[in-house]
Amino acid sequence: MKTMKRAGLLALAMLAAGTAARADELVIATTGGLMRNEMEKWFYLPFTEETGTEVIPFDIEVPDQWARAEGMIRTGNVEFDIVTATGPDLVDKAEMLMDIPCDTLENVKEYALPGACQPKGIARTTGGMVLTYNTETYADNPPESWADFWDVETYPGPRGLPDTGDRDWWLPTVALLADGVAKEDLYPLDLDRAYAKLEEIRPHIAVWWKTGNQVQQIMRDNEVAMTMAYSGRALKVIQDGSPFAMAWDGAIRDTGYLAVLKGAPNPEGAMNFINFFYGAADGHPGFIQAVGYATSSTIGLSQLPEDEQKLYATYPANYEVLVDPDFEWIGANRDELRERWTNWLLQ
Amino acid sequence: MSMAGFLQPDGRNLSKAGILLLMAPFFLLIGFAFLYPLLSLLSISVTEPQTGLQNYERILDTPVYGKVLLRTLWIALLVSILSLFLAFPVAMAMVSSSGAMAVFITACILLPFWSSVLVRTAAWAVLLQRNGIVNDLLQAIGIIDAPVRLLYTQGAVVVAMTHVLMPFMVLPIYGALRNIPPDYGRAAAICGAGPLRSFFEVTLPLAMPGVLGGFILVFLTALGYFITPALLGSPQEMMIATLISQQLREFLDWPFAAALVGVLTLFVTAITLLFSRVFRFDRMLGGQV
Repeated sequence: MKTMKRAGLLALAMLAAGTAARADELVIATTGGLMRNEMEKWFYLPFTEETGTEVIPFDIEVPDQWARAEGMIRTGNVEFDIVTATGPDLVDKAEMLMDIPCDTLENVKEYALPGACQPKGIARTTGGMVLTYNTETYADNPPESWADFWDVETYPGPRGLPDTGDRDWWLPTVALLADGVAKEDLYPLDLDRAYAKLEEIRPHIAVWWKTGNQVQQIMRDNEVAMTMAYSGRALKVIQDGSPFAMAWDGAIRDTGYLAVLKGAPNPEGAMNFINFFYGAADGHPGFIQAVGYATSSTIGLSQLPEDEQKLYATYPANYEVLVDPDFEWIGANRDELRERWTNWLLQ
Repeated sequence: MSMAGFLQPDGRNLSKAGILLLMAPFFLLIGFAFLYPLLSLLSISVTEPQTGLQNYERILDTPVYGKVLLRTLWIALLVSILSLFLAFPVAMAMVSSSGAMAVFITACILLPFWSSVLVRTAAWAVLLQRNGIVNDLLQAIGIIDAPVRLLYTQGAVVVAMTHVLMPFMVLPIYGALRNIPPDYGRAAAICGAGPLRSFFEVTLPLAMPGVLGGFILVFLTALGYFITPALLGSPQEMMIATLISQQLREFLDWPFAAALVGVLTLFVTAITLLFSRVFRFDRMLGGQV
């Protein structure tokens, strides 16, 4: 309903404008609020200043964005240039996305971390789906891993897990970690074993959270004592003074990618922006501090003080205990993963 | 059109053509904004990915979808019954009060009715959270030792939906009660009926059109309700509207979502027809005695 209303409004706005997007405009879809505001401040406005291309930010949650993009492609009227993609989206939605010319973008060649530039998308921000716990509830004996999350005897208290985004593989993944599977042996996921383990924790989940705002809210309101959270969201709650901490062992690497829709009105501008993003050194420290996620630009990272780097997924000690998901396998099995998840949760 | 064609020969009432002409904008709007999108959605459900009923077979073959549908019917029924029992006394009070009191009760019903459903639902989230007023109160008077889970439960959904939908129950019942001449009650008393007997044998039967009208209004609205279950419920106790939205927005499975819409439409139509067959609709909505 809300989506349809907004689609209607957008259509009206486009009619009122009288024209489709122009060549000196670039429409970038991201989640609203923090991410939109900080991208605008540190990158969109400097980009406009340097190139004269006006960036039009569009606020939308990622699933809504794909629904909208699907509709745009169905009707042949593509209005987004750059969209936000998750790792699996790069495989799943590959036919909707343009190839990123990793070898020809100067700043990408120079500064991108290894693996940051993928065929269908380029890393914007990296965080993790991280175990976050209340440091007052577990003052004497903090949980350290997903096995501890499952251990309700030693660590009693209401828990939270996501029912949004990519939970259909996030949760089987951490369930297997909790069941003793080694990080390098996770994929392909043993779903029967994973769901048997998930069944154990199910009665202890007080909140299946739906959005990044909600996971922050349930931490602040003590609705949960520990939860899986986006690391950047957890970081904000911690910095705001709530008694929470992150346990990085077994956190799932979660990279948000910039991707370009096929049929985008301004593909050239989109590639220019990606190149600008990797080279605009001045923007990165402020942006990383504000959104709580690290970029994959080496000149960006190196400008943060060492002790602050520890709070981010790309800090070496954190990075080496992250789970690196096998997006090829996940993408190839996405329908089964989703069906399994929906049927399990609704049963 | 001349006045002669617009009116019946007696020159007082509208002719059939006149009625149709006046109704035309309404039917155009319904056709454009409701029937057309609904039908095009339903056609997707039987034409994609292939022509056939495979989307409907998937609903039948997967037990969880039936479960979601049954749960939706159950919650809608529960909400309707609860709001009936809460609304009837309120409607009676509205009818029998006058002056400032009547204004006050009406305001209590109508003011929340005019505020956003989202706001009313969010207010319940504040009340029911772990450190919320309800948990604090229950702990203060010693009923519970530690906060209990109230938010994100089926109970939270039922309570909040009852609150949100209650005006739809109060108003038709109020309409029906107001149409009962006060003489009837006095006549019953003169004939020796006590207040209880007078209520059950005079007031209630005469108020039935309003009761049924309110009941079907609340029940059908509750069947397709989205915001409250999405915000206060747990995905483990999902209702059908949330499931449809999830299939559309997250899984981009339009054909399957359309099939779910088809099933919901089927239920709503069947229930509406059943009601209109058993109880006469014009009486329900008009509240005429």
